[in-house]
Amino acid sequence: MTGDARRARLAAGAKWSALAVVAAAALLFPVVFPSPVATNYGVFALIFVTAASAWNVFSGFSGYISLGQAVFFGSGAYAVGIAARDWHVTSTAVFALLPLAAAVGAAIAVPFGLVALRVRRHTFIVITIAVFFIFQLMAFNFSFTGGSSGLPAPFLPWQAATYNNAFYYIALACAAGIIVLAWLIRRARFGLHLRAIRDDEDRARGLGVRAMRVKLAAFTLSGAVTGLIGGVWFLYLTQVEPQTGFDPLFDLSIVLMAFLGGLGTVAGPVLGALIIEPGQLYLTIRFTNGYYGEILLGAIFLLVVLFVPRGIIPTGGEWIRRLTTRGRSALPPALPAAEVKPEIRDPASSGPRGGAG
Amino acid sequence: MSHHRARFLTLGISAAVAAATLAACSSGGSGGSSPPATSHKPILIGTSLSLTGDFSADGKAFLRGYRLWVHDVNASGGLLGRKVKLIYLNDRSDPGQVVTNYTTLISTDHVDLTFGPFSSLLTTPASQVAARNGFAFIEGAGGAPSVFTAPANEQAHNVFDVSLPIEDEMVPFVNWVASLPPNERPKTAAYPMADDPFADPPVQLAQQKLQALGVKTVYSKIFPAETASYKPAADQVAATGAQAVLLGSTDVPTVAAFMQAFEQQHYNPKMFICAAGPDQGAAFTSAVGKANATGMMVPNGWYPGYSNPESQNMVNEYVAKYGGTPSDINADVAEAYSVGQVMAQAVTATGGTDNAKIISYLHSGVTLNTVQGPVKFDELGKNSSAAAFTFQWQSSGTAFNQVLPTSASGSVPIINPKPNWAS
Amino acid sequence: MATQIYQAIVDGILVGGVYALMAVGLTLIFGVLDIINIAQGILVVLGAYLSYSLSQRLGIDLFVGLLITVPAMFILGVAIQWAFIRPLRGRERTSMTLLVTYAMALIIEGVLYRIYGPDDKQLTASYVTSSVHVLGFYLPYIYLLGFGLAVVLVVALYLLLYRTRFGRSVRATMQDHTAARLIGIDTSRVAALTFGVGVGVTAVGGMMFGATSGGFNPNSGYDLISRLLAIIILGGLGSIGGALVASVFMLTIVSLVDIWSPTWANAVFYAALVLVLLIRPTGFLGRQAVRAQ
Repeated sequence: MTGDARRARLAAGAKWSALAVVAAAALLFPVVFPSPVATNYGVFALIFVTAASAWNVFSGFSGYISLGQAVFFGSGAYAVGIAARDWHVTSTAVFALLPLAAAVGAAIAVPFGLVALRVRRHTFIVITIAVFFIFQLMAFNFSFTGGSSGLPAPFLPWQAATYNNAFYYIALACAAGIIVLAWLIRRARFGLHLRAIRDDEDRARGLGVRAMRVKLAAFTLSGAVTGLIGGVWFLYLTQVEPQTGFDPLFDLSIVLMAFLGGLGTVAGPVLGALIIEPGQLYLTIRFTNGYYGEILLGAIFLLVVLFVPRGIIPTGGEWIRRLTTRGRSALPPALPAAEVKPEIRDPASSGPRGGAG
Repeated sequence: MSHHRARFLTLGISAAVAAATLAACSSGGSGGSSPPATSHKPILIGTSLSLTGDFSADGKAFLRGYRLWVHDVNASGGLLGRKVKLIYLNDRSDPGQVVTNYTTLISTDHVDLTFGPFSSLLTTPASQVAARNGFAFIEGAGGAPSVFTAPANEQAHNVFDVSLPIEDEMVPFVNWVASLPPNERPKTAAYPMADDPFADPPVQLAQQKLQALGVKTVYSKIFPAETASYKPAADQVAATGAQAVLLGSTDVPTVAAFMQAFEQQHYNPKMFICAAGPDQGAAFTSAVGKANATGMMVPNGWYPGYSNPESQNMVNEYVAKYGGTPSDINADVAEAYSVGQVMAQAVTATGGTDNAKIISYLHSGVTLNTVQGPVKFDELGKNSSAAAFTFQWQSSGTAFNQVLPTSASGSVPIINPKPNWAS
Repeated sequence: MATQIYQAIVDGILVGGVYALMAVGLTLIFGVLDIINIAQGILVVLGAYLSYSLSQRLGIDLFVGLLITVPAMFILGVAIQWAFIRPLRGRERTSMTLLVTYAMALIIEGVLYRIYGPDDKQLTASYVTSSVHVLGFYLPYIYLLGFGLAVVLVVALYLLLYRTRFGRSVRATMQDHTAARLIGIDTSRVAALTFGVGVGVTAVGGMMFGATSGGFNPNSGYDLISRLLAIIILGGLGSIGGALVASVFMLTIVSLVDIWSPTWANAVFYAALVLVLLIRPTGFLGRQAVRAQ
């Protein structure tokens, strides 16, 4: 086995074991830190990991920046609330309503997408904002949504010390689900189509990509998952009102999280959410006085966008690469002839060999 | 090193940093001291307030009220001989933050008691955290029905609102109109309401009763709490020429915007009462001008001239500390102060900080005293003793006086009709 | 009923003027520089606070004070663009400007909270509540002055963009950034100055907003930004006249629907926006896509 192949094997092994460590850490977090304070941070962090990843699956991969994810988030929350009230669902049975939240999210995404995905970039952003406000206003105005009072979630008769744990694991399952989905999409042709659309939609269409279908599919998936996590959020807070279920800051936050971590990467939104959500909650507590919290948050965002503009993961990756390849030539060394497989040694068909390109 | 490997390494490092941050957040507190093992350790009371965000103006007033109470209690020897220490956190008017705050206060700072936040929107998610940890939740600013009918409260009965329940607050006004001879009553009335569970019920109830009295409704609409401009709605009201306006407002800017539009339209209603806004002292008079404030009415449970000795004491201290005149004081200050007083009486009566005992005590039908008057809780935590008074700005906007019910002690003659706008 | 409708139309036009003043800066920045300035809302509020300080502390009249606040905010705009936006590069630049301006908005909001506190403030002047009686309607002076100012500003900006060399550079940069550089235009200077003009104009919008809103505090910026974004897209990105037309159009619709149901008026606002955009994606007066989207 060549040095390179051996290194590749080791790297792959390292990668998988690292992922196993992360997964174990996530699963054991409530065990190692059983305090409700810790698990509370965990729940909110995972809710936003899910939301940011779902946003990224559509907006990050396709390049269509959507500021209307709260439409799905709030709709999912309200769906669970309305169903719980009208079907008299109580206690733990209420978690069975979560798939409904996902279904509602998907159901809204289809007409929403059909309308909004016909336009490009700037117009698209504003249409998503407009639809968001329409939904918020509907939540205020209709009586079945409880009007300005909103809707309550059924009471869960659990112990205070372990109350958060169930939510933590449910949110973790949702987060894991969307992360795996994002990873699979990225590797599949579907992901390639999305990236082609991001790079140049007209050219992608010319090459045969069914742009509207691809975009709509990603949008619907994103909507379904965001609706689902909205339902989880509602059950955790036990109350949804129009301004909290449909909160404009929600959209800005998840965009920021995805950007911080690295737009279009799978792990980027996860990282961004893990840093920003607990960070913001904690900084507000730490700097509760004197309005410093806001200024600090803004300053941090500013520094991040200016110095880490493509996100932590891509930029960090570049820094590390630059560090480790310093002094070495940029081109990989040519392989000795004997190691090259006989099939590619045909001089007529091979282009530049080894490092000559 | 390949592109992907370098990225992966970055991911690994940053994930480690994030995990460390998360762990640090989880173990760090908000500065609450770990109590020494003596019997004279301070009583820790935790609360979350909106120091920024939508409710920031009220949050600030509430904080002042809580702090005044803490100061007074400690000055008179503390509770059961122990000093009281208030730990407060900012919730940015955000429900996720409020849940995090109370969880932190209870599980990290190990507070003995909790006070409520500002606004019904935040009280409901916060009270359920308190409920499952067995804490009594005394508050003064969460009066919407959804606070009391929240499932957690229906199970744990831990919410106690010391302030006036809102539905009946305009009834004294209606009763006064009914007491006038028929030719002096307003012939027409307009009912503009902000879309808020706090502002609408009293106005809607008043509308029903006034219609039954023969007052014709010429305008009755709900407008969104956040609107591009109040001018179109206000101009529509002005165009009706209604003789009475009952405005379902939640804050001063709404009232100020309506008043401004009315002035521009040269429209002078003879009676003008608002659900909220004129009760905010200087915040109101500086917004609309003292002269224009004259004649404006608002229902409330407290006013600076209330002859209760504790209330007077609080007023004097407030003025000494923050300046201005008694009429400048925001009613929120009294609400917050009352929360503290109820807690103090409960702690003293039960001889300790056992929340379960406090909850039973408060539900035992006992009547307590506060700067807002008597307090007695029904089984969902509403204050069934609260009396609704109506107040009016008088003396060119320098005095905020109780005017209704006319027979109540402390009521002064009402100014009727409301004077025309000053300019 | 007819009077109600006329009143509503008059109100729509007058309030539209105020919104136009707030939106003009945004459309200039968005249209020319491709920058989604989420901080526009808080910049309006900042303009209101500056006018407040001038009128409360120094007794300077609201309109006279503009002679100070406009240049001050112009300088602020140039500084922000030069320091924080100019360094942004790459394919995701537009989205990055969204984040940078959001960060700026948070910082400015925090600073305003520190300086002024959370209490609502108002801009008052003797003429704010007086009105002139015309054809059975009362037209408040402040709105008339505001509308007049909006028209004057639109004309002035139009002249700036179409009759000056600077304006030509701006339009060239808007049409094709690279080509503009190739013919020797210093696009960074153009960008900085344009951003400065956009923010400076917002000072006027801020004063009008403060005088007509009934009360503002540092938190007031959030409600504004979404409406302003809707207005400029409707009017056409980069179109100054479009901002005025769209403001008046939107506010008139809101005002008319207010007669029937104020709670649905806002929803109609946004639904109308979606509808118009589907029919004509570049807005009322926007030109056809001049850049690859």
